[in-house]
Amino acid sequence: MSERVTAQRVKAFAEAARVPIEDDAAARAARTVDPTVRCLDELALELALEIEPASFVAIARKGAKG
Amino acid sequence: MSDPALLSLTEVAAHIRERKLSSVEVTQALLARIEQWQPRLNAFVRIEADEALAAAKEADAELARSGPKGALHGVPMAHKDMYYFAGKPAGCGSKIREGWIASQSSTVIRHLQEAGAIRIGALHMVEFAMGPTGHNAYLGPARNPWNSARISGGSSSGPAAAVAARLTYAALGSDTGGSIRIPANFCGVTGLKASYGRVSRAHVMPLSFTLDTVGPLCRSAEDCALIAELIFREDPLDAVTAGAPAWNKAATRRRADSLKVGVPKRFYVDDLEADVAAALDDTITKVRKLGAKVVSLDLPDPKPIDAAAFVVLSVEATSFHAPWLRTRPQDYTPPVRARLESGLAYSGVEYLEALRWRGPALTAHLEAIGDVDVIVAPAARAVAPKIADTDPSGANATAIKEMSGFLRPMNYLGVPALVVPVAHSAAGLPIGLQLIGRPFGDETLIALGCALQQASDEHLRVPQLR
Repeated sequence: MSERVTAQRVKAFAEAARVPIEDDAAARAARTVDPTVRCLDELALELALEIEPASFVAIARKGAKG
Repeated sequence: MSDPALLSLTEVAAHIRERKLSSVEVTQALLARIEQWQPRLNAFVRIEADEALAAAKEADAELARSGPKGALHGVPMAHKDMYYFAGKPAGCGSKIREGWIASQSSTVIRHLQEAGAIRIGALHMVEFAMGPTGHNAYLGPARNPWNSARISGGSSSGPAAAVAARLTYAALGSDTGGSIRIPANFCGVTGLKASYGRVSRAHVMPLSFTLDTVGPLCRSAEDCALIAELIFREDPLDAVTAGAPAWNKAATRRRADSLKVGVPKRFYVDDLEADVAAALDDTITKVRKLGAKVVSLDLPDPKPIDAAAFVVLSVEATSFHAPWLRTRPQDYTPPVRARLESGLAYSGVEYLEALRWRGPALTAHLEAIGDVDVIVAPAARAVAPKIADTDPSGANATAIKEMSGFLRPMNYLGVPALVVPVAHSAAGLPIGLQLIGRPFGDETLIALGCALQQASDEHLRVPQLR
């Protein structure tokens, strides 16, 4: 199975964030993160166009009532 | 009177108000106990004996002069070292913030001070609250009062250890992925992870603005209610509290026989250690005896919820720490630096999808629980592990991550959860369960927690210094 998250990707993102990262640290980060990204891939999220982070607040307030 | 340090928060506050005990006597009792236990536990990062005694003396004088200031008049307390007190250091368990002095106090600290609480010191925590075990390579680990070879749990390590050993009557902790509930569970105290948005986090060290909650660790659910009544308030300094309901004291007296209680059929009850499984079964029997209706629940798989929470937490924490990662990376301990570097690995789209899914995930959770008021579930599969077996510097990453597996989903869903101690294992270690509520249903958890603690003395057990 090919990696979803690679050390090269981590290095590129770190450079974009202007955070220095060693090669072995980037490889470790990729190994750590890869299973989480795969888990969400498997979920195949189909989010409605209108869903945004603040939608959560409205759902929580409605859910309080039971 | 026996040792005042052994009283509950509710009891000691009443004793001081009624002048059965002075604040000075109470503070001296705690300081004596701290002196005995601190070498064993490493629960405090600072003990401010002289200042606490001076504040206690002033509290006694004020009580004589003009009566009690509030519900906590003259009660000494210590909190996780990430709560800001104007003019005091808040090291956040780190080298980077060592010696940093806060210019303003946390809103919740101001509420407790306005109620008359006084400060006795500051409590140990995992570096920047990033870890569930209580290890801290900079400060050394906090230790479990029931067995000092075992972890306290974290990241609110000092609060749980200190409350369990009766070194403070209560302590504020924080919970972003289980950081109140893990140590409460392992140390045998009662800990409340508040509904997201009900308690201000202003001037408290942030970790993840989407998931951060603050709340109390106490000796009982009744004590948690006393603190909650003071801190569950809207705060213009923390926008997520806007419009949130104020604390409803009447709802904490809801009768257990009016509650519908759910027990997960799977995931949360799989592969439990025998002692934990027995404690769960015994508690469900107690809940039934209290008259609650108990039903089985088929909850959504927590693994993807946990994964989404992990993405959100990682990216937001790395965003907060990016300036120091650029300029002072060597000042983090290696495990925490590695965790922060992991947050660099997610794309913007992955982060935002994880964030946007929060509402739909809560909808699915609410559909699964129907009209259930409270879910009863384990807080962990096993009792507190050994310090040596969970060092984040070693090859223990999977075991450490799993420690939050039953807990982090509640942060993502924003629902409240109360950990209550319900048993001790054959090895003498505490076992807790989490009571999980509906959004903003914190008071219902207190009601059931109080009912369970009226039917059991598990929360009254005190570890002995041997």
